Parts: sequence; C-alpha cells; structure tokens
Amino acid sequence: MATKTKAGPTKYEISINGKAATVVEDTYLLKAVMDAGFNVPTLCNHKDLTPEGTCRLCLCEVEINGKKKLVTACNYPIRGEIKVNTNTEKIKKHRKNLAEMYLGRWPNVEAIQNIAKLCGATDKEKYKSDITDENPKACILCGHCVRACSSFVLQNILGFAGRGITRHLTMPFGETDPHCIECTSCGYVCPTGAIQVTDDMNNPADPELIRRHGMRINAMMAMLDDEQNRMRQVGTANLVEVMDSYDLLPVHNYKFGRHKDTPKIDSGVMKSRYFTQGAADGCWVGCSMACAKAVDGFELKTGPYKGQKVVVDGPEYETAAGGSNMGGFDLDFIVEFNFYCDTYGVDTISFATTMAFVMECFEAGIISEEQTGGKKLNFGAMNEALECLHEMALGEGFGVDVGQGIRRLKEKWANELGADPGFLNDIGMEVKGLEFSEYVTKESPAQQAGYALAIKGPQHDEALLIFFDAINNQIPTYEDKAEALYYFPLFRTWFGLLGLCKLIWNDVVPPDNSKYPPNEATKIPERVEDFQKFYEGMLGEPLDEKKMLRQSERVFNLQRLISYYLGYGTRADDMPPLRAIGPATEEEYLSREERYDKQMKEEIGIDPEGKTTGEKLAITRDFRYKRYNELIDAVYKKRGWDNNGVPTVEHLKEIGIDIPEVLTLLDKPNI
Amino acid sequence: MITVNNKEKLDWHEGMTVQDVVDRMGYVLSIITVSVNGQLVPKEDYATYEIPDNAEVNVFHLAHGG
Repeated sequence: MATKTKAGPTKYEISINGKAATVVEDTYLLKAVMDAGFNVPTLCNHKDLTPEGTCRLCLCEVEINGKKKLVTACNYPIRGEIKVNTNTEKIKKHRKNLAEMYLGRWPNVEAIQNIAKLCGATDKEKYKSDITDENPKACILCGHCVRACSSFVLQNILGFAGRGITRHLTMPFGETDPHCIECTSCGYVCPTGAIQVTDDMNNPADPELIRRHGMRINAMMAMLDDEQNRMRQVGTANLVEVMDSYDLLPVHNYKFGRHKDTPKIDSGVMKSRYFTQGAADGCWVGCSMACAKAVDGFELKTGPYKGQKVVVDGPEYETAAGGSNMGGFDLDFIVEFNFYCDTYGVDTISFATTMAFVMECFEAGIISEEQTGGKKLNFGAMNEALECLHEMALGEGFGVDVGQGIRRLKEKWANELGADPGFLNDIGMEVKGLEFSEYVTKESPAQQAGYALAIKGPQHDEALLIFFDAINNQIPTYEDKAEALYYFPLFRTWFGLLGLCKLIWNDVVPPDNSKYPPNEATKIPERVEDFQKFYEGMLGEPLDEKKMLRQSERVFNLQRLISYYLGYGTRADDMPPLRAIGPATEEEYLSREERYDKQMKEEIGIDPEGKTTGEKLAITRDFRYKRYNELIDAVYKKRGWDNNGVPTVEHLKEIGIDIPEVLTLLDKPNI
Repeated sequence: MITVNNKEKLDWHEGMTVQDVVDRMGYVLSIITVSVNGQLVPKEDYATYEIPDNAEVNVFHLAHGG
C-alpha cells in the first residue's frame, strides 16, 4: 500500500522475487533489488554516476496491474506497487546471449570475463569476429568516463562517435581537446584500464592518494548537491531563503531577520529569471561544485552604461542579502548594484551595509535631504541608492560621504551634525573600520565573536558559527563556543594557506556525517580527512589535526600581531556594535518582544513584567555585553592571548614564532 | 512536552511527527539531520515517525555558505 503524507515522500510496498520490500518513491529498481539481497549483473552501472541503462544486462521483469514488461533496473525509478522478477528464464537467456556477445568482442577483459561467468556464458568463439579486441585493457564502451566528465566536473570532453560496430570513444573531431583539464575523472571510473593516467603534473608524492580523495569529493558533489544546497544550480544564493526562514537575513540595517518580500529575491527567482550561466568565472574550470553564476543580457537602467546589455557575475548570497538589508527586494536592483559595484571596484557588502546605515540615519532624522543632495534615502530607495553608488565612483556629491564607510560617517555626523555618537555606534555595523557581512548575529554569541574577533574585520570567513550556535544549540557553553572560536578560525585559515576552497568542505555533506557526535559533526570529519590527504599526497608528509592547526596558528597569531602593530588588535577593537549582539532600538525590541521578554526571564533572571521598553532594552544591553565579554575572555585564554587580546610571548614561544622580528611587533603598537 | 535541541520546549500531542516539529520550528530541509531520543530518523520517515511525549529531539542544520 502506498503511504503519503503532507510533506514526506511516498513509499511503496513492492515484491522482489516474492520477497516483500518497502521503497521510497523514485528509488532505482537496481538499488531496491540489491538492497533486498539479490544480485543482478551490470557493466555500465557505477555507484557514483547517474545510471543510463546502456549495457542492458540488468534487465528485470516488472509487473504492474497484471501487465509484465522488461526494464533496465539501473535507471528504472519505482513509482508504484510493482512485482519484480529478476531471474526469469527469458531474462537468463537474454543475459547469457548478451554476455556471449561481450565475450566475443572483448574476450580478455577481466570485467567482461566476470560478467560472462555470472551469466553462464562460456563460449568465446560464438561471436568472435573482425572487431574482436584481444587487448585485456580494451575500452568496453560502458560510458563511465563520458558520464564522469559531465557529472563530476561539468565538462563534455569525452563522447561517443559512430554507431553499431563503429561506436567508439573520442574527443571532438578525434583530436586532443585543449579544454580537457586533466582532472583524471575518466581514468578513475574506467573499469578496464583502457584509460591510463600518465601525467603527474607537479610531481606529487602520491598522485593516487590525491586522486582517490579528489574523486570522493567529485562523486559526492555529483550525487548529493541537487538534494542538499544546490550550489551547482544557484550557488550561495540558496542561503537567501534559508536565512530568512531562520530570522537571520539582514533587513533594514540588521534590525530584523526576515521580510515578507524575501520570496521576490530568493534563489528560485534568480534561477528561473536571471541566471543564464552555470560557471561564469568558475574560479577554475573543472571545479566539481562550479558555484559561480552569471546573468547574461541584463539591460542596465542607470549609470554610465544605461541601456546597454551586460553580463553580470552573480549575485551571490551576500549581495542579495545586501539588497534586503537596504530594503531593496527587487532583483533588477540587486543585479544592477552588483554590476556597478564590480565595475567600479567597490565591495558589494561594504556598499550595502554602509547604505543600510545611511538609510537608517536618514529615517532617524540624523541626516536629511540637505546632506544627501536632495535624495530621499528611506529603506527601499533603490534608485537613490544607485545614485549614491554612481556618485561614489565619480567622486561627486553625497556619494563621496558614503564612500568613506560607516566608521568615518559616524565621526563626521557626530562632529558636524551633533548626532548622538552613542546611537550611531549602536547601529553602525562595523568593527575595526570594516562593514559587517550579511548575517544577523543577535541570537548567536559565537557568531558575534566570530565576526568581531575576526582579524580583518567582521566577516564570516574566519568562523561561520551561526548555524551551530543560533539554530542547533550545539555549542551551548562558553567552553564549547570558545573551542569553536579556536578551531574554526584556524581551520579556515588553513584553507588560505594552501589555496584550497572551503566551500567544498562544508557545502556538500556525506550522508553518514550524522554518525559523529554534534561537535565533531560540525567539522565534517570525512572532508577534513580529504584535505589532509591532499596535503600528504602532494608533500609526502602525513598531517593530523594537531599539526594542521599548528600550521595555521603561527600565521593567525602573526596576523593578529600585525593588526595590533597597526592599531587594530586589542580588546577595544574586538567590540561589536550593540545591534550585532542584541536589539538596539525600541522598535527592534518590540518586533521580537516575546522572544526578548522570555530571554530576560529565563537567561537574565529578571521579570520583564511592568517594565518599560526602554528599561528592558537597557537590561538586555547590559546583559549581552557582559555575556560577550565573558565569552571573549574564554576565547583569548584558549588562543593564548592576554585579557587585552594580545598574543603572549609565552604563547608565541610555544608555537615557535618567538623570533625577534615577530616580537618587535609587540613593542610598537598603534603606529 | 518535548525538548528541541536541548533548548526549545514544544507542547506534545498524540501523533506528533518529526515533520510537525520541522514545520513548527521553521527548519529548512537542505542539510538537516534529526534524531529522536538519540535515534537517527531517515528523511523519508519524517512524516510518519511519531515522537513520544517527553522526547529529546535534536535537529542539526549543518553550516553552509562561505
């Protein structure tokens, strides 16, 4: 009986050789048959590749409503209550005949011999002919290599040409295709050895080790990405709807975490109406994730290229979320500001976050049309935001001010307009002079510190902990958070040291990752192992977690010392604005009043009953700054830094960088 | 009453499924894993797996993005 509920997949009760089995809709028959304990011969099926049913050996008989038919089991999706027979006399005869044909053509290929044995085919002479190939490593036209090229690395370098007995494997026009990136996926999946990998590029110590782990990642990407994050389809833009659903998408200068108009800018709209290229810049051609996306033929509505049709690289999540942060829930606007930021050499994040701050200041009456050159810069003023961007590039008008960034604007407006510096500091989303990237951190102390402690300023490259902390509650104690704030910045720094991409680390997750305890699962141990093996395969030196972290720790501490030397590396520089750690205005408090009241009662131990919103805001503020300071105390200690956030000489000695040139950085702060 | 991620308390009702909790909490079904009283629940069973009263439910959304 089929069972289906509102959101779950349908399941079917089926019968295989008289044995009952329950399968999820769209499971391929071959998998169901194998899972049920029956063996079916196949040549062209491969665990990491989409099935194609080309070898015809896996034919099975399927009975639906009394009608029987033969299907190739490997690519037959189960969509009903069926009776399956895997081994009728007719099927056995068919398989034996087919196996004899294969044996006649490729008599010495081990994979063929094994299949022949399984199918009871022993006569090598029956189908012997002019096309018989005695080579034990002959190509048997299984197509694994063609599919691997296409699904592992999204290339189509290999293909079949000819028909019938002239069918053969080739590159276009029978020539060596210069677009082949020599990823060796084809050689990896070849079952006979017909494709041999001979190139060892930069003389790695163990190319097989690198290949084995690289292919594991490729296969994972090919098989799982569509049902996980869809990086190949929409890139990081998939996060727009995810963050909105968790109340973490920045809206109106990070006041709120979601908006009713988010569906207008989510990845579904980008995919259906905007994205035309799957791999615009493609970091490097042949990446199995290929998350870069692009929009072709986009007609610009403003600026110096108005009316022209252009190619736009993006938008990625951060750019789209920059749109929501400015109240610009319109992808035409987001793609346009994306294009002009790229063209002018302006960071989309810094521009959007600065504009969101400007808009809030405009709505709060701190600045007016007098300062903005007549522009009404309310949230959602998309044309006006673009005007500011063009002015910024031209060095004209109010755009010159916007281009200074939040830190200087706060100072300027406090000095020149008499604005309350406290308020500006509370809502100005910058640390160390850099604008925040686009996540709402209010409910995640670990992410607050992940941002504010980041050496180059508040961006998530060092420690994206918001999922573990705010959503999963996986790192509940200060010690847990401090451990995460020790491990992840070092681990992520390591990617930079080796020039590896971190997206393939955590954007496709092995199905059995949940077997690890939560704190370990966050690291995605299988993928960490892959990276360690890359290192070992290249340099011939095994790498474990301790050694890996130590490599990073030296660089990370040196970066902090340089930051300190330049005047950005003490506790005072690690302080986030109020809005990053909690509600900064009454409007904001009231928008999530129930949540904040509950926290006040349960976490702070104060009954909010009878208190004004202003009083509650002050209590929340004090509590959250206290909590933040306690957390960074624990992080500094874990990192071997003093309570001002400066690496101690003792720690520098321990990690082996207590050389005079480095120690000098401690003596000359704030130059 | 059930506990989600050792934090949120949700009222329990007869026939409450994993899918009900996922919907109620707003979890996004891209990379989550769910366990009920330490038992891992396969994705295809979310809609039919009934949660007992006083259960400890863990829903983990793995990190993704840059």
